[in-house]
Amino acid sequence: MRLIVRTLSELCITVGALIVLFVVYVLFWTGVKADHVMDDQIDQLQEQWSQGTVRPATESGVTGASEAPAQAAPPTPYKSGKPFAIMYIPRLGFTWNKPVLENTATDTLKKGLGHYANTARLGQKGNFAVAGHRRTYGDPFKDFPRLREGDAVVLTDGTTWFTYRIDKGPYKTVPSDIEVIDPVPRKSGYTRPGRYLTLTTCDPEWGHSHRLIVWAHLDSTQPVEAGKPQALRR
Amino acid sequence: MYSFIWRHLPGNAWVKALISLVLVAAVVYVLFQYVFPWAEPLLPFNDVTVDNQ
Repeated sequence: MRLIVRTLSELCITVGALIVLFVVYVLFWTGVKADHVMDDQIDQLQEQWSQGTVRPATESGVTGASEAPAQAAPPTPYKSGKPFAIMYIPRLGFTWNKPVLENTATDTLKKGLGHYANTARLGQKGNFAVAGHRRTYGDPFKDFPRLREGDAVVLTDGTTWFTYRIDKGPYKTVPSDIEVIDPVPRKSGYTRPGRYLTLTTCDPEWGHSHRLIVWAHLDSTQPVEAGKPQALRR
Repeated sequence: MYSFIWRHLPGNAWVKALISLVLVAAVVYVLFQYVFPWAEPLLPFNDVTVDNQ
């Protein structure tokens, strides 16, 4: 009898300790790991860019969105699971910057933001859609609900700065609502094809019942030689 | 359960304590390195896309 009670209580303590450890892992350790991995990805990108391996010549200067540079050769497709751009959102913090990787697999999203593989390329006609964690893995989109109309979302692919301006959001929807990443997203208020950006994350913060969406349009582009865009200067 | 392990560890109390510490560290390592990364995607925090790819 005594043995049973003792074993049972030991088991309870063990399970309790296991749960506490798991919470520590989810809340804290994934963040530590993700910060490290994301820094790695950004370093990788910057190294790549400094070596000049991706240089699709963009001959035009500072142009409006309507006359974005026409590229001579078809650009190399993004490599699945590899970083290709860095995103800056001043509203989420002046130092907030995350790598953007191709595809939205679970493993990819552990290393940064994920670009929906079947959506448009950065800065091109269509919808450049990106997903990111709200919580865990560095909490990249923790402050997602603070995004407002007019906020800048700045991206660079090593040759060009792309400044998008948020038009609508955060818009709450259900996970099956895939029309939000259409070339002309439903419910976004856009009626004509254009160069759009969609960000998606989960809602509520720790749940998965809904998704939060913001939409933006390409406001301006400029070559990296011209320096940081206005939205990132202070 | 724990007293059973304690009784079967070699050495005096200090050595036993040391071995237990190492064992606990090993268990925590295995959990953080293998078990939790496997278990975590089963929870909803990963569902941030709209098409469940």
